[in-house]
Amino acid sequence: MTVAEHIETGPETARAAKPLSAVRLLSWALTAVIVTLCVVPFLLVFVISFGRKIEGAAWVWDFTLANYQRFFVGALWPDDVTFLYLQQLGFSFWYAVIASLLAVLTALPFTLLLSRLSRRAQAAWLVFILSSLSLSEVFIVMGWDILLSNNSGLPALFKSTGLTQWLKDTGWFQVLRDWGLASPRNVKFKTSQFATILTMSYLVWPYAVILLYPALSRLDRSQSEAARTMGAGGWCVARTVILPAIRLPLFGTTLLLFVFLLGTYVAVTVFAAPAQHSTAVAIYSNIRGANLNAPFGAAQAVILLMSAGVCLALGHRINTWAEAR
Amino acid sequence: MSGLVLKSISKTFGGTRAVDLVNLSFAEGQLTALLGPSGCGKTTLLRMVAGLEAPSGGVILLGDRNITDLPAHRRKFGMVFQSFALFPHLTVRDNVAYSLHISGVSRSEAADRAGKLLDLVQLSAFGDRRIGQLSGGQRQRVAIARALAQEPEVFLLDEPMSALDAKLREEMQVELRLLQQRLGITTIVVTHDQREAMTMADSIVVMSNGRVEQVGSPQDIYHKPQNAFVADFIGKANFFDGMTVPGGIRIGATHLVAEPRFIGRSLVRVAIRPERACLDEEPGANRLPAKITFVRDLGPIREYHLESALGRMVVEYAAGEGGKIFQVGDTTEVRLPPDALHIFPAPTAHEALAVAAE
Repeated sequence: MTVAEHIETGPETARAAKPLSAVRLLSWALTAVIVTLCVVPFLLVFVISFGRKIEGAAWVWDFTLANYQRFFVGALWPDDVTFLYLQQLGFSFWYAVIASLLAVLTALPFTLLLSRLSRRAQAAWLVFILSSLSLSEVFIVMGWDILLSNNSGLPALFKSTGLTQWLKDTGWFQVLRDWGLASPRNVKFKTSQFATILTMSYLVWPYAVILLYPALSRLDRSQSEAARTMGAGGWCVARTVILPAIRLPLFGTTLLLFVFLLGTYVAVTVFAAPAQHSTAVAIYSNIRGANLNAPFGAAQAVILLMSAGVCLALGHRINTWAEAR
Repeated sequence: MSGLVLKSISKTFGGTRAVDLVNLSFAEGQLTALLGPSGCGKTTLLRMVAGLEAPSGGVILLGDRNITDLPAHRRKFGMVFQSFALFPHLTVRDNVAYSLHISGVSRSEAADRAGKLLDLVQLSAFGDRRIGQLSGGQRQRVAIARALAQEPEVFLLDEPMSALDAKLREEMQVELRLLQQRLGITTIVVTHDQREAMTMADSIVVMSNGRVEQVGSPQDIYHKPQNAFVADFIGKANFFDGMTVPGGIRIGATHLVAEPRFIGRSLVRVAIRPERACLDEEPGANRLPAKITFVRDLGPIREYHLESALGRMVVEYAAGEGGKIFQVGDTTEVRLPPDALHIFPAPTAHEALAVAAE
């Protein structure tokens, strides 16, 4: 480039630089908004988790690991050890794992059938399922609460139709009692892990359908047909062709629902026995409930979040390993 | 087995009859092409043979065994799909060995047989590759090897060349035919490409509107078409509508010498292949004045488009044939040898509309 050309192109370069800096400014502003809305609250919770509760009063800023110690081994360690809070975390995981698996396993065949319906029928079902997402957790739990309540729900129906008596006559009633699903007189669902998990799985079932639908509707049907012509029956086709083809969306959906369900509060409060409450319930009772121990609640929240992070990282590793195979 | 037989097979989807009372017999070890335009029912027929669709009526026999209600996975007919339908989560070798794995063949034996099949389709160096790393032609070979792995009694191919480019398609047609002849397996190929059918098939089934129009060897189908649809669909032909009269056919004011096997004053459609019409000075019947309107030289063949008393027509010569070279505007005489004329009943208005729609 000659000097003259350089002088001529100079102002143009300067003009071109102007919109670039505006874009950069906008991206900085967006980053600041995201940091303020997402990172700052989390950092606050993280910092508060090192704070100290003043007995009979509120809490103060501090840097103590006592809250984390209390979570893992109890407040009286090393004189006494309790795993109460780890047990609550265990229940959180138990409910979330079983409910997410139940939701995905039941949504999978449904969505597979849905994807084979006519376009019109698919649209109708999807609109119906999407509209069900507008119902809040409180509303859904209230519905299940009524359905499973001992006086006006299914147990009452079982009794009035004679099903309870039939269960007693056939010996199944004792089995239900052993599972904690019956009192001496009648079937009971409240409180039970069964009702908790059922409601939690119902909560996320529409999400499972919506998340699985794109992958299942894109499935190449000729692959299943090819497998059939090579001697594969229905289950064999599902196991060797369909499931591998949707492995990633299936895994991702389960993981997403699992993480979502780790924070379930209302369903656990209503349906689980107090001794089987999850970390989410404990966090609430510490931060807003009777205990008013925000630092300990924050520590529990951080641990729950870390646990979810570890699960996601593990899931990613397992998926990468499976893909490499 | 001793061949595959279809008796009165039909298939309806809602109110549409996709396949209409088809009777066919596929000889053992032969390659048969189901040929026809899109929507003529050939793929539906193939899918019924594979067991992927249940016939609405009729019987499918394999030898003396009725397999009409036998599900696809119990028939185990090897099938190559239009999209190849390979499994992207498996390697090339595992794709080929799929049927062996699911039928309980040991891993070592399955790998051994998959290796032999990959040798057969000249892909032995590609066994560990993923399907996404293969070209279209290679994918097709994998699909063929995979379908052959279970040593099927009948080998089915649904438009196997449609995803390939023109040059590769021609190469694969020859390769596939050689492979089929080497294995001696009863094979049915669905295609809408007449060149493909004529290259590969021992026998061609021409279909239209769910019905079989003609069954025969490629030469029979081309040289002795049984109706106007076959004459039109297979190769090129000049068509004229006329009426039978004593000693021939009257087309407008022109009388053509011919031997129509119809009663007098029947409406007929006359067809003549472009290579059977001549622009020469030799004496003979059916000489008509003609004027050259367009010349198309394609290298191996030269086409003369001309205007005659019968209307527009095309005459075709292979390179080096035909003697005199004509130019646009030349006047000459076109000769239509009586033995080159194919005479069919004139299509009904309904049939004409259906053909026009296709």
